[in-house]
Amino acid sequence: MLVSPDDTGLLVRGAAGGDEGAWRGLVARFSGLVWAVVRAHRLTNADAADVYQTTWLRLAEHIGRIEQPDRVGAWLATAARRECLQNLRSAARTAPTDDMDRLDVTPAAGNPTEDAVLAAETEREDAARAAAMWRAFGQLSGRCRELLRILMASPPPSYAEVAAALGLPLGSIGPTRARCLQRLREEMAGIRDGLSPSS
Amino acid sequence: MHDPDDELEAELRRLAADREPVPAQLVQAALDAFGWRDIDAELAELVYDSLVDADQASLVRGPADQRLVSFAVGGMTIDVEVTSAGSGRSVMGQIAPPQRAMVDIRYPRDTVTVETDELGRFESGPLPPGPASLRLRPPPGGEGPAIVTDWISL
Repeated sequence: MLVSPDDTGLLVRGAAGGDEGAWRGLVARFSGLVWAVVRAHRLTNADAADVYQTTWLRLAEHIGRIEQPDRVGAWLATAARRECLQNLRSAARTAPTDDMDRLDVTPAAGNPTEDAVLAAETEREDAARAAAMWRAFGQLSGRCRELLRILMASPPPSYAEVAAALGLPLGSIGPTRARCLQRLREEMAGIRDGLSPSS
Repeated sequence: MHDPDDELEAELRRLAADREPVPAQLVQAALDAFGWRDIDAELAELVYDSLVDADQASLVRGPADQRLVSFAVGGMTIDVEVTSAGSGRSVMGQIAPPQRAMVDIRYPRDTVTVETDELGRFESGPLPPGPASLRLRPPPGGEGPAIVTDWISL
């Protein structure tokens, strides 16, 4: 169940007062945003898990001290971004490979490859489009990938939250989004032209 | 929703939810974070982190595996040096003004307690990398409020 953004301030005040249900509401509302910030920064899976967890622990400790409770999403996005930058700068942490196994972190819902195969059996067209889109997304410039990855959070983040997550001015989000979505369309068209669906 | 950009963004959102969902155990960790609050303790906030705040020149000069972090509350500061050794981390710290205290090094799966010397210094053995926070409390027989630091990723 989603919480309307207007209720966010109430959730923060509730959690500050010890209401665990309010905290669950905050996690439901912003878990996807924090994860999107982490994924946008291309950390290893172990570091991504650390940053995600550290961000929530930090909010828990700060929950009674948030100056603008209705803007806690931007607070979380900023905190997550700062943690990501710290991680990226830490030379000791730059593991070259993905260490999903080491930290025992596995994707929650099924195996993406299996999902894709299953989907292909039933809705081949949709699956092909999804595969092309995911690939096109991966081919975008770093800046576009970062911006779109934040926008792809569920539930959808506000532009203020996106701006906080990227350290960009609020006014730049709309125009950059339009440009990056157009670039995505072009990449997808290129993939379709280059790879006509066989079989 | 008929705006083509909005429709494309919604499609991307479904794709991300399908291919890169928040791992379930991380959502659980976020829920569990609430239990780590210490509402009676004072919060010593992170005021300096060499990884973030040091200028690039000193980052280049400094040892790559050494990180300096400072927390402050009221008139007290807690300086911590984090050293990487293989996949482990160790911390050496100093409380100012110097005083004896018990230091709980908290991380999500465990807590390690060390004691400061009379100069306010403390140090840990190897710790796992990941989120950590310090909780300072008076030694047995002492009095005063506990102090917790901001969480950082070791």
